[in-house]
Amino acid sequence: MKRVFGTPVTDYMPALGLFAITIAYLATAYHYSPDARAVPAGVAWVMLVLVSFDLISRTRTNIGLALMHWLNPAGDPDQTKDQKRYPALKQLSAVIWVAGFAAALVLIGILYAVPLYVFSSLYFRGRRPLLLAIGMSATATAMIWLLFAVVLRLELYPGMLFGGA
Amino acid sequence: MLQMWLNGIEGLLQLRELAFLGLGMFIGLFFGAIPGLGGAAALALLMPLTYGLEPFTALALSGGVMGGVPMGGSITAILLNTPGSAPNAATAIDGYPMAQQGRAGLAIGAAASANATGGIIGTVSVLAILPIAKDIVLLFGPPEFFLLALLGLVIVSTTSRGKLLRGLITGAFGLMVAFIGYNDVSGGERFTYGIEYLWDGVHLVPALIGLFAVAEMINLSVKGGSVSNNAASVKITSMTGGLLQTFRHWPTVIRGSLIGTIVGAVPGVGGVVASFLSYSMTVQAAKESERDTFGKGNIKGVIAPEAAINAKDCSALIPTLAFGIPGGVEMAVFMGILIVHGMQPGPLMLVDHQVEIYGLIWALTASCVLASLVGLLLVRPLSRVTLLDSQILVPIVLCVAFAGSYAIDMTIENVVLTAVFGVIGYLMIRFDYPRLTIVIALVLGASAERNFHQSMLMSDGKWSIYLNRPICLVLLAGMIALLLLPVARAVSQQFAGRKALPQRGSA
Repeated sequence: MKRVFGTPVTDYMPALGLFAITIAYLATAYHYSPDARAVPAGVAWVMLVLVSFDLISRTRTNIGLALMHWLNPAGDPDQTKDQKRYPALKQLSAVIWVAGFAAALVLIGILYAVPLYVFSSLYFRGRRPLLLAIGMSATATAMIWLLFAVVLRLELYPGMLFGGA
Repeated sequence: MLQMWLNGIEGLLQLRELAFLGLGMFIGLFFGAIPGLGGAAALALLMPLTYGLEPFTALALSGGVMGGVPMGGSITAILLNTPGSAPNAATAIDGYPMAQQGRAGLAIGAAASANATGGIIGTVSVLAILPIAKDIVLLFGPPEFFLLALLGLVIVSTTSRGKLLRGLITGAFGLMVAFIGYNDVSGGERFTYGIEYLWDGVHLVPALIGLFAVAEMINLSVKGGSVSNNAASVKITSMTGGLLQTFRHWPTVIRGSLIGTIVGAVPGVGGVVASFLSYSMTVQAAKESERDTFGKGNIKGVIAPEAAINAKDCSALIPTLAFGIPGGVEMAVFMGILIVHGMQPGPLMLVDHQVEIYGLIWALTASCVLASLVGLLLVRPLSRVTLLDSQILVPIVLCVAFAGSYAIDMTIENVVLTAVFGVIGYLMIRFDYPRLTIVIALVLGASAERNFHQSMLMSDGKWSIYLNRPICLVLLAGMIALLLLPVARAVSQQFAGRKALPQRGSA
């Protein structure tokens, strides 16, 4: 993997991501009146300084190592190298399942999304027996319906495709 | 004062309140036993469900949860060396060796009675401190509250164990997020990017459900397997002996409870510091010949942290209720419940909601004692929870989390916000950024900005207002000291040669 100042490029990503978000935030802040932007812009400038320190501390230069040692010793790569890392694809898959479930809730509503998600999560992802997957998804749906619709008397969202606002 | 105490007890001794207290305690025990979930996730999940409840009932439920979590956490810490929540890690140091030696029952019994006793001592301390706290709080004006909010963030960042910089970054990020929405000062909306839902700001509860419940579930599904894979060690022996051991070692209980009470009253320091400080002080106070037995199954090593954890939970209510600064993540989520029920934490709360506050304190204490008793009875089935496969646990928890997020105000956008914060929370776990500071920033951001503008109005825009008031000077000095202390310590260690700085090119 390509290294910059002795550190893999990917290790800079969190700090670079935060840097980009802060720049966009700051640019937006300067569209507002001085009173409205005073505190947000101040915080964003402080954030830029802090993220810059974070970026520098990730380099394997003397100043980077010193910053890491003084300000963030727990993040020292030497101390964290033994930590278990998981494949990026596995992490992405876990995030996609959650995002997919959220999208299903919005599109088809709670009473359809819950059994669909629990069943597919157990049967397709977890490779569990069909009967267990059906049983669990029915139980989860019944639990949600009883708790929210019956006990708390709330109207469960029907989904955008079925008339939800 | 006595009348308020009695009113608090009277309010709690209703069938409905007691039922919800019991329910909360069971939920607390369950969530406490599952590493990664804990009290914050339990409260975040329950928050929407409290909507339909009376404020007092909601507080009874919350008190039940907060009182039940430590006991649940200690069971898995002792049985499986898997602390349910971070503070219980100190319990595992001696508790797990005791379980390996076949003395698990003794350890759990001691943990249960230390938990209950610590909770009672913590309550007595809080009841003594609360009346004074009100007078102190009334000395604070907008400049002091603005600096106090900043101090809270700095304290939390500095206690993020070796992550000062990243703690400050997530704190600043949380503040940036907290400024989204309608602004009282300018009378317009900010950073909403055309999304109408964001005009009310980032809704705290869906964000917290995402940051904790959803993020932990993503993390668990990435790791796979069950929470704990060590089924062989789920073995229980007699527990009654342990109950008596706590009273035999009463100085350890008193010391632990007092440490917990003091540490808990400092915003953001949290249970980890309380439990480990109590453990280390107990080791230091032990006789030279006894010290070697710690870490190998000394029962005092179980009693000391457990007493501190529950005492801390009671005293953490002081900064949360009196200053509006949560003592930890759990308290930050709990603040959300207070706000949902129209109780704004801060000085006025101590004046306007005294009965609810005392009711909450009694609920917390009752839950500590009940959880200890029930924990002993349920220890076998509870220990099985940690062996539940993530493939089953994750979908169930996510369904409840998302449905709960929607139910807060029947807004489907909450679900999207929860998912977004779930991913943010997971990225924070993955890239090792502490989540506590973002929560505190989300809670304090709006009030900090309002107090800043009020201070500026009071002083005609002169920053010197922060230097002319004695309490402000103390707060500023504290903030500077806290920021400089870790850096100064690291620099002095480096120059003293005690801890050599790795040089360029080293591994």
